[in-house]
Amino acid sequence: MANNKEELLKQLADAVVDMDEEKAVELAQIIVAEGIDAYEAIEKGLSAGMEVAGRLFEEEEYFIPELLMCSDAMYAGLGVLKPHLKAKEGAAEEKVKIVIGVIEGDTHDIGKNLVKILLETSGYEIIDLGRDISPQKFIDTAKEQDAKIIAISTLMTTTMDGLAEVIRLLQQQDIREQFKVMIGGAPVSQAFADKIGADSYAVNAATAVRLARQLMESVA
Amino acid sequence: MPVVHFKSNDKVLDVAAGITVLAAARLAGVMIDSPCNGNGTCGKCKVKIIGDFANEMVVKGNHGLSEMENSQGIVLACCTDVQDDVEVETLDRLDNESLQIVSKGQNLVVELASPIHKEYDNQIGKTKVMAGEMLLGTEEGNTAKENYGAVVDIGTTTVVLALFDLHSGQELATVSALNPQSRYAQDVLSRIKYASTPEGLDAMYFALINELNHLLIEAAAKAKINRHHVYEIVFSGNTCMLHLATRVNPASLGKYPYLPALYGHDQVHAADHGMQASPLAGIYLPPIISAYVGPDITSGILAAQLTELAGISLFIDIGTNGEMALSKDGSLSVTSTAAGPAFEGMNIACGMRAAAGAIEAFTITDEGLKINTIGDGAAIGICGSGLIDVVGELIAHDIIGKNGKLKDGNLPEHLAEHLVKREGKTVFSLGENVYLSQKDIRQVQLAKGAIRAGVEALLINQDVTAQEVDRVFIAGSFGYHLNPDSLIHIGLLPQSFRNKIQFLGNTSKSGGQAFLLNRFIRGRMAEAVKEIQVIELATVDNFDRLFAKCLEFSSI
Repeated sequence: MANNKEELLKQLADAVVDMDEEKAVELAQIIVAEGIDAYEAIEKGLSAGMEVAGRLFEEEEYFIPELLMCSDAMYAGLGVLKPHLKAKEGAAEEKVKIVIGVIEGDTHDIGKNLVKILLETSGYEIIDLGRDISPQKFIDTAKEQDAKIIAISTLMTTTMDGLAEVIRLLQQQDIREQFKVMIGGAPVSQAFADKIGADSYAVNAATAVRLARQLMESVA
Repeated sequence: MPVVHFKSNDKVLDVAAGITVLAAARLAGVMIDSPCNGNGTCGKCKVKIIGDFANEMVVKGNHGLSEMENSQGIVLACCTDVQDDVEVETLDRLDNESLQIVSKGQNLVVELASPIHKEYDNQIGKTKVMAGEMLLGTEEGNTAKENYGAVVDIGTTTVVLALFDLHSGQELATVSALNPQSRYAQDVLSRIKYASTPEGLDAMYFALINELNHLLIEAAAKAKINRHHVYEIVFSGNTCMLHLATRVNPASLGKYPYLPALYGHDQVHAADHGMQASPLAGIYLPPIISAYVGPDITSGILAAQLTELAGISLFIDIGTNGEMALSKDGSLSVTSTAAGPAFEGMNIACGMRAAAGAIEAFTITDEGLKINTIGDGAAIGICGSGLIDVVGELIAHDIIGKNGKLKDGNLPEHLAEHLVKREGKTVFSLGENVYLSQKDIRQVQLAKGAIRAGVEALLINQDVTAQEVDRVFIAGSFGYHLNPDSLIHIGLLPQSFRNKIQFLGNTSKSGGQAFLLNRFIRGRMAEAVKEIQVIELATVDNFDRLFAKCLEFSSI
């Protein structure tokens, strides 16, 4: 049984990496039928698979379409497993919340959506504000939701100053230390992140996941 | 099916019997001036039918034709139906002046209807300069013969100024220079940001005007004319450039909802902008479609005659900002897409602008690689057209997979030596220190994916399939140097566009020329622009999925 379980979880992870939606569903159903814990299957199967996919993306093996197809397989498996999560586990494992959005003045959200998918599949709870979001809105939402990370993106040079504004407002309101600020997008760079005092700059979606984890470790 | 031969344009077309000559001309891409749009009321669309045509044609109206014209076989194109094979000659207007703007693959015939007329008054010994009925001013002596105009294509990178004789429509001289604004900021968005302050705007504005005056002086010297007899200047370029050229703050272009602060189809005094032409000169700003679909695209639509063409035509300007316009029987929808600078050789490991030493064309043969460089010397980098060729050929020879992954091995012997390791990563070697990396391929995927997704979104929005598209016009900085097969290999364009692709070159300039030489075109295009549907890709449902799909290197 133990062997079988490890084997099944490994296969589930592989189904995600192999972008095989049907296989992920099929395996998730078997896992449920075998009575394997759904939470464990999500973590060691689906999330583990996405982690591999993210690594392949960073290694330039995978590209955006592959990542999206992996996440399709992941979500398909999740759909099967989720109803079988035991309630107490949900409560015990409070997820870290991340507020994400595209800064005011900009409507380009493909990059933001990718980051959102990868963060979500890595076990974070994502509050997606969408696009053209004012700096204050990021802060208000993060406070209300008790989020730990504010993730902001922009594609346009013309709206980059809004990212600095978020940090300025956090400082002004004396709550800078309550949140980690992560930024990304085509015109943004590590140098810009340093300049405005952001906690981290993610060059792509997979890196964002790694950095989010590092940020949380630095807090803990 | 009857065959219509437009002799003066060297176009031959099979048509359905009963179609008007005007409709046939539009199908063939032959421009016949038709201000009343074929109602038979203006009498302007005169053409000459060669030979005895009593059996080939049905003439339904002859409004405004003289006896003489009737006897010469001159008919109104809109009132004459084709029944059998005919030969048609398009006519110069009464003033007997007409101009062909030759752009490869497409003959744009623009009738001369200069906005400026000059008349010598021997009573007072002065020459009147007239804009239509309006007297702009007078000049001492008889200068009636000297009547010039200029088209300025203000590109983000390059500025081109062309001088024209407004009497003959002849191009007299063309000069170009780098846009001096790139000293302050490279790309359009950076320039919007820079010019968002009054100081920044002035820096950009004066730098540009200064350069334009240099170009005007240089062109006038080359053409051996007096620049003070330049009375009309057309500014073509993207929306941001038009703002910067007229000292208008472009900030609103850079933030949602991306609104222009000016909409063009407007005339300003050249002297007010420090242009050293005639003190009477005006600057015409062509109609602006939107923040990211500018007068250069209005000019392109004009140069490709999109509003005139029957069937489905697609116009694509490939650049950092990819703009595309779809015409369904002349009714237009447009969109724009952020392709990024990969096709200009930026963000590419060995990328460079189209300069000496750049790989501009590339093929794989049985013997190995065939590399063409600009200036034929050793390759020192890859420019945009070369990049598209290299990636296209590598896909066609299965060295790059559909997913964009560079193969690691298993290549035929004559190619295997080109797969080498560089800093631990596999790259495709194109010469000493010139190579294509995996990251470069990803950049090409992003750029071509953005343009393809824009095309697909436009087609979907207009409920048209790629197969139904009759013709595809490519404009932009690439000029004629692109290989259409490579565009299809990389999937920038769908397979079904094969053999439908025409390269039009710099349509911002050729369309600007039409705006300069024919004042009627201006109002007509302004009206046409009002009807254009602008599609904002950010608001298209599931655009991210469409984009992701378009990233694949599949030639479907």
